[in-house]
Amino acid sequence: MKRYSRAESYTAALFVAPSLILFGLFIFYPLLRSVSLSFYGNDIIGRPGLFVGLGQYRTLFASPALRETLVNTLLFTLYTVLPGLVVGVLLALLLQLRLRGIGIFRTLMATPFAFSVATAAVVFAVFFNPGVGVFNGLLGLVHIRPQPWLTDPGRALPSVAAATVWLQLGYNVLVLSAGLGAIPEEIYEAAKLDGARAWSTLRHVTLPLLTPTLFFLLVVSTIISLQSFGQIHILTRGGPAGATTTLVYSIYLNAFAFGSSNFGLASAQALVLFVIVLAITTFQFGVLERKVFYR
Amino acid sequence: MRLTGRRTVLTILILVLAVACGGGGSPTAQSSSDPSPSSLPVEVTWWHGMGGTNGDAVKALSEKFNTANQGKIHITPTYQGNYDDTLAKLKAGIQSNQVPTMVQVYDIGSRFMIDSKQVTPMANFIDAEHYSVADLEPNILGYYSINSKLYSMPFNSSMPLLYYNKDAFTAAGLDPSKPPATLDEIRTAAQKLTKKDASGQVTQYGFGAAIYGWFLEQWTARADAQYCNNGNGRDSNATKININQPQDVKVLQWWTQMVADGLALNTGRKTDDAAAAFMAGRSVINLESTGSLRKYQAGAKFQVGTGFYPKSEPGSAGGPIIGGASNWIMNARPKYEQNSAWTFIKFLNQPDNQAYWHTHTGYFPTGKKALDEPSDVQWRQQYPQFQTAIDQLHQTKLNKATQGCLLGVMPKARQAAEVAIEKAILKQAEPKKALDDAVASIQPDIDQYNQQVK
Amino acid sequence: MRLLGRMLGYGALTLVALVLIFPLLFAVSASLMAPHELSQYPPALLPAHPDLGAFAAVQRVIPLSRQYFNSVLVAALVTTAQVVTGVLSAYAFAFLRFPFRSLIFGLFIATLFVPYEAVIIPNYLTMANSGLIDTYAALTLPFLAGGVSTFLLRQFFLSFPRDLYEAAIVDGTGHLRFLWSILVPLSRPAIASLAIFQFIATWNQYFWPLLVTRSPAMQTLQIGISQLQNADAQEENVVLAGVVLALIPTLILTFAAQRHIVRGLTAGAVRG
Repeated sequence: MKRYSRAESYTAALFVAPSLILFGLFIFYPLLRSVSLSFYGNDIIGRPGLFVGLGQYRTLFASPALRETLVNTLLFTLYTVLPGLVVGVLLALLLQLRLRGIGIFRTLMATPFAFSVATAAVVFAVFFNPGVGVFNGLLGLVHIRPQPWLTDPGRALPSVAAATVWLQLGYNVLVLSAGLGAIPEEIYEAAKLDGARAWSTLRHVTLPLLTPTLFFLLVVSTIISLQSFGQIHILTRGGPAGATTTLVYSIYLNAFAFGSSNFGLASAQALVLFVIVLAITTFQFGVLERKVFYR
Repeated sequence: MRLTGRRTVLTILILVLAVACGGGGSPTAQSSSDPSPSSLPVEVTWWHGMGGTNGDAVKALSEKFNTANQGKIHITPTYQGNYDDTLAKLKAGIQSNQVPTMVQVYDIGSRFMIDSKQVTPMANFIDAEHYSVADLEPNILGYYSINSKLYSMPFNSSMPLLYYNKDAFTAAGLDPSKPPATLDEIRTAAQKLTKKDASGQVTQYGFGAAIYGWFLEQWTARADAQYCNNGNGRDSNATKININQPQDVKVLQWWTQMVADGLALNTGRKTDDAAAAFMAGRSVINLESTGSLRKYQAGAKFQVGTGFYPKSEPGSAGGPIIGGASNWIMNARPKYEQNSAWTFIKFLNQPDNQAYWHTHTGYFPTGKKALDEPSDVQWRQQYPQFQTAIDQLHQTKLNKATQGCLLGVMPKARQAAEVAIEKAILKQAEPKKALDDAVASIQPDIDQYNQQVK
Repeated sequence: MRLLGRMLGYGALTLVALVLIFPLLFAVSASLMAPHELSQYPPALLPAHPDLGAFAAVQRVIPLSRQYFNSVLVAALVTTAQVVTGVLSAYAFAFLRFPFRSLIFGLFIATLFVPYEAVIIPNYLTMANSGLIDTYAALTLPFLAGGVSTFLLRQFFLSFPRDLYEAAIVDGTGHLRFLWSILVPLSRPAIASLAIFQFIATWNQYFWPLLVTRSPAMQTLQIGISQLQNADAQEENVVLAGVVLALIPTLILTFAAQRHIVRGLTAGAVRG
């Protein structure tokens, strides 16, 4: 039986109370309310109406749209996370070169980090513009046909993902550079003494030692990617023909767009998102982390 | 109501936090039984969705009214974002009992506004003082009248037009004074207008319009057909949309073929993107609202021509539907406040103010007398193309088809139509199938809405 | 050979850097153009006669200075509050012993697993029902505390020598006093990282401010910029001038405080 100092307990209560109250109001209570909302229908103004039990979930799982949004979400995550990591590692390695003025390059390559989702999307909207876009203009200079960047359903998702990868790169390069910088010099020297070549040093020394950073980035960028909203809203509004409607964007469409206030259905979707994020996070921590090389 | 007790506690907590943050809301609505204002001038709030130069015109008219009614009525217009945002804000306001006296809502939100039971019909004010609406354009009033009863006062009204690049017409050997009038004529013209460079790339497309559901609604009305059932939702609440009829399939087949043959440029859903392509000379024939005329005049380096909205069926007697938005008076506000809003609405309807509105925004004047105001006559000399819009408005025969469909979930139905156009153009589905799918996809929403308002 | 390698290195670096900064270069260049230079096809890449007209035009379309103020205010409020609530709770978890400590800490950690979009509807309804739409309260309230801040600061506090803490408390120094005059000054690097991270994250927010603001006067810069793009008289040089203005604070932070950012990111981004 532990004994606590009463004064210390009071102080602690006072100190954790502000955060705890805010979490209660804006995270825990809303999470429960999402569950309760998902069991109700709405009137046309958006006020909770009739109790429908699992009706919203039945609607959700019966509609082909759910599968489509889940596939879009999955593909978007794949298109953003993997290229972001691979290119990020390549760039970070490039920045390890011992060259005069490398600091300038390091600073320049962090540029995308200064962009927000909104500013990046607005610039890429000008690049991707179907009629008078910069990308198509540049392609025209080298006699390549204009591309339907955002107006073709097969092309739109990769295009939005490409803009997202660019945006993420600044962050990824910063973090990976820090990870590479933290690998002690002696390890490289030991490898050199052992006669290891550059490639095998990379494979057997650098990358294994970088796994914690890579793992961290994998988790973070997967979750960020799953939550993407602004770039879709600004670039495609979920189109064409629903090709860029991800789960989060679909929540927005059902709850807030085009005069729709279907909070019940959107809450059911929000809980699906919650479960997916929870599963991925748990999986990544539980399974992948064991394979990660920690020093 | 569920969780009432907990909700109250929560609300109090939030309000306490809000005050601590320097936030805080505006005053809640008084009960509508209040007999007289507690102080003068009567404060009237007006939520609207007019940004940019249109918003400036809203401000100017409000200020003019305030000066004329000093000490009696004071109107405060507040911009609430686009139409969708304004409606969302209104819904949130109804839930927290904070609604304005008057709100501007887009045409396709009309059925929702009536079904919300939150408004005082305009007809009540009109009947009470035998106000004459004889000057107002019947085709504009038509949209907002249900069973001959006017629910809201039309404010900003527009119609779609066909815009074309006269210089490109001349260069292609076409008569620049003869805009194409039917879909077939557009295709014939586009075949002459489309230009390719040496490497086979299209440098100039004959046609280019945004994938905008409004256009399909217009084509339906132009073919004298009804977009939704039950008399376009005007005899009773519509239970079905009818956009998979032969005339709609024909439009979609035409559009799909135009894109497939490289005669039309697909710029996606954003009207701005189609407009940019038109102004840059990438496409020659364009469909847009009458409100875009000024922008086109200012931004294009060629002579801009206007024509009537094209027909899919050459022989049909139909015409385009009026679009835009109207002003609604909310019944939760005190009577004297509603009456003051009505006074302001009458002020907006005056010919001089309508002429100001028309010439500063490009929207139609709602009354015919405004067209005789000197400022208006002069403006039309500067923009002779606008005469096309007025002729089109006056020549359109008012019936259920041209009144347009009233549907509670009309904004969503428009989205469904856009998905259908996209699927057809992008060859994901045959035009008929794409339209059938759209009709089917919106059905649960219609059913649900009708159940909710029963 | 050595020289060739170096040349290759510089070549690759330059190429990659150009690709990465192209959007910024283009935004700056386009913001100095005349409207027609971007509405022609193909669009220009460099202005023929650079001028600042577009920057003045931004203010005509959106209340830019007001939105700038909103963004600064909201980001500053959230950052300050996060630091204060974070320091207090981290202190409790790192130094104090009290009942249910691990349970409560578990609750803090649990917040990291809730994606914001999963609670955005109830939070929106809360704001709508309390009449707080379009207020600073709505923009800031949900973000005044964060599990990340607590977690990050707690880690830092745990590395603090416990003897020092015990000595101070035995001496009769109050908890607040110890916190304020000893712990916080010594934790300045961690707090700075957290603050910069939080400031940028709040500055960049999009979904929530889009939902809870309507009038341009209450919108943040991010929303204003995207509205510029939808404005009636859309001119892309004006839109990009808005982007350039919105980038200034984050560019300064990115270039000037990179080391802090990296620390804030790696520690802070346990959640998205």
